[in-house]
Amino acid sequence: MPFEALLGAWVATGLTLFIFTFLYKDNPLFKLAEHLYVGVSVGYTIVKAYDTVVIRLIYEPMVVQGDWSLLIPLGIGTLMLARYAPKAAWMSRIAFAFIVGVGSGLAIPRVISSYILKQVEDTIRPLVSMAQGGALAFSTNILDPASNLNAVVLLVGVVSVLFYFFFSIEHTGPVRVAARTGIVFLMIAFGAAFGYTVMARMSLLIGRLTDLIEYADPGYGRPSLWLLLATITTLVVWSLRRRDEHPPEG
Amino acid sequence: MIFLRRQLPLLITFVTGLLFATQYYVPHPASERMLTEVTKWLQIIGGFALVLGVTSLFHLHAVKIRRKEPGWGYSFVLYAVMLGTIAVGLWVNGKETVNGTATAFGWIYSNVMVPLQGTMFAILAFFIASAAYRSFRARSREAAVLLLAAVVVMMGRVPLGEYLVPLSGDITQWILNVLNASVRRAIYIGVSLGAVALSLKIIFGIERAYLGGGKE
Amino acid sequence: MTFAERMLRIDRRIIFLLIGLSTLLPLLYPVGLAIKISPEVRGVHGYIESLPEGSVFLLSLDFDPASKPELYPQAVALLRHAFEKNLRVIGMTLWLPGTGMADQVITQVARERGKVNGKDYVFLGWSPGGSSVIINMGQDLYKAFPSDYYNQPTKELAALNGVRSLRDVNYVVSLAAGTTGIETWYVFGKDKYKFELGGGCTGVIAPGLYPLLRSGQINGLIGGLRGAAEYEVLIGQKGRAVAGMDAQSATHFAIIALVILCNVFYLFIRTSRGQTGQRS
Repeated sequence: MPFEALLGAWVATGLTLFIFTFLYKDNPLFKLAEHLYVGVSVGYTIVKAYDTVVIRLIYEPMVVQGDWSLLIPLGIGTLMLARYAPKAAWMSRIAFAFIVGVGSGLAIPRVISSYILKQVEDTIRPLVSMAQGGALAFSTNILDPASNLNAVVLLVGVVSVLFYFFFSIEHTGPVRVAARTGIVFLMIAFGAAFGYTVMARMSLLIGRLTDLIEYADPGYGRPSLWLLLATITTLVVWSLRRRDEHPPEG
Repeated sequence: MIFLRRQLPLLITFVTGLLFATQYYVPHPASERMLTEVTKWLQIIGGFALVLGVTSLFHLHAVKIRRKEPGWGYSFVLYAVMLGTIAVGLWVNGKETVNGTATAFGWIYSNVMVPLQGTMFAILAFFIASAAYRSFRARSREAAVLLLAAVVVMMGRVPLGEYLVPLSGDITQWILNVLNASVRRAIYIGVSLGAVALSLKIIFGIERAYLGGGKE
Repeated sequence: MTFAERMLRIDRRIIFLLIGLSTLLPLLYPVGLAIKISPEVRGVHGYIESLPEGSVFLLSLDFDPASKPELYPQAVALLRHAFEKNLRVIGMTLWLPGTGMADQVITQVARERGKVNGKDYVFLGWSPGGSSVIINMGQDLYKAFPSDYYNQPTKELAALNGVRSLRDVNYVVSLAAGTTGIETWYVFGKDKYKFELGGGCTGVIAPGLYPLLRSGQINGLIGGLRGAAEYEVLIGQKGRAVAGMDAQSATHFAIIALVILCNVFYLFIRTSRGQTGQRS
């Protein structure tokens, strides 16, 4: 196995275990890993921003291909940085005004089209369908998302939840009934969201443990096992030293 | 001077906002060219926004080191690692791989950044379990509904659940496709109406928080 | 303090241990329960299956290392499928911290399938701006990405022959861990440039995307590690996602057991308090 792969396995395993030590309690190993993470992430961001923005988006199109119109965004970007010079800080407002103005303008028609019109259109579906021979039919198969019954349930759900969030009128009488129905729908959706969040978090743990199992392979020199031992020993020593330095009261 | 500091930004927002909102409905080649150019500019300006994002972090840790505050050693490590990553990254022209082979920068990314960030989020699995045990109680009828839906979805999305209670998968599908979708749809509609209203307030100069405080 | 109260206050590290073990043991000793395929995942798979050879498939890997366990297996499965179908693949990311992973997964799967960079696939890398990148690609792909990740001019790449903008892309799939992601690709992309759009996402954001799925704004959705496992089953190449499904089952049941226990103890406490109240 190449040396860099071997070293990579040991480093990745060690850092993974350092983060896991937080489950015991906050400790220097975790703090070290946490600061390493921030340092590497910021360094990575700066390098990628330099390579992509300065080289690929500005230098090459402007200097190599001669697209000097890019001086305009360069100027606007520089104005943003005026924030750091107290006397010129007001100039950054011009840049923010441009970004916010264009951003709002771009968003308004697209949000209306994508989220409001399309979503309303799909909610207002025929509640009964036309069967063969022109007779009216009402499909009640709840497992079919496109059934008439589900169209009714969906409509009731959307309207009642909107009523629940409608605070301009008092929730009494029929409005109260609608709002209460909305709460039931909301609770079910929150339950589903919780279930999916659990699923997601567990998947992340599965991913990290799968890596640790892979690195327990003799081909890598079993870093998972050795470093686990070393990490636990360090934590025990640290706890004992801390107890000596700050003995428990009483 | 007041015009430059106060009115000019509002005027820029008003003009650009209206221009790009109407552009959507005007597919003339000139209008499309303008859209192409300006979205290109926004890409570059987005790069400058990144610089703004990281500088506050520099300042925070620099102060810690200068004043030798508790834990300044960690801030020193942060700085050293950051500068090291930048040096290595620039050395290999910011590429993680060259001809399919990982560079030193790619090695740092794969063996330091990826496991650290991945594990940082993986430990949340333990905390969500602990929180579920301590506070996921059926204190009211609504809470009981939430709890029941969560349990059904947790069962219905794993093979063991579908094996033990075959119907759990179908019920989960129904919850997601109909009940959950209706709630999310109402939220989408509500939030979008709010976002459009806010955008209009920004364009017409009613909402000015984005301009920040400071000297006029 | 009653037994139920004591149980509700146990050291949380005992719960941590339980979760750790219920994840680790099934990974070490897998059972291999059958995985049912959902219509959402079938939607993405079916559409790729229907694309003729040489069609353009754009995969946007919009996630960072925090979501790697969920979305990386999805990317591997989708790329294997696309390369097997001999589609022309365009890879990119709108998330800066995901650039290295996106490069790694495309390079790795392409090499595995004997595909050549520039001819069979391209990797555009990352570009800042999120929604503006999508609009710019919809207007002019070469303006948004004048060069690819390896600094090769995009206009000279054979894989992009006949592709001027997103209008010429047959299928876009965004693998998203949040915004910027699937919704952004719809609002600023598909809404105007009319390409077909599918999605893959983390479990956390999946429930929020069902309205788009119902309205046909996206034609399929691969949700979390489970979705990735379903896709692996569909293409007949079981990988990390399928391997993780037993552990997923075990941890879900561990959480369900914890929730039930919590409520049983809570009920005990409430009943005993009620009785004490009645007596006094």
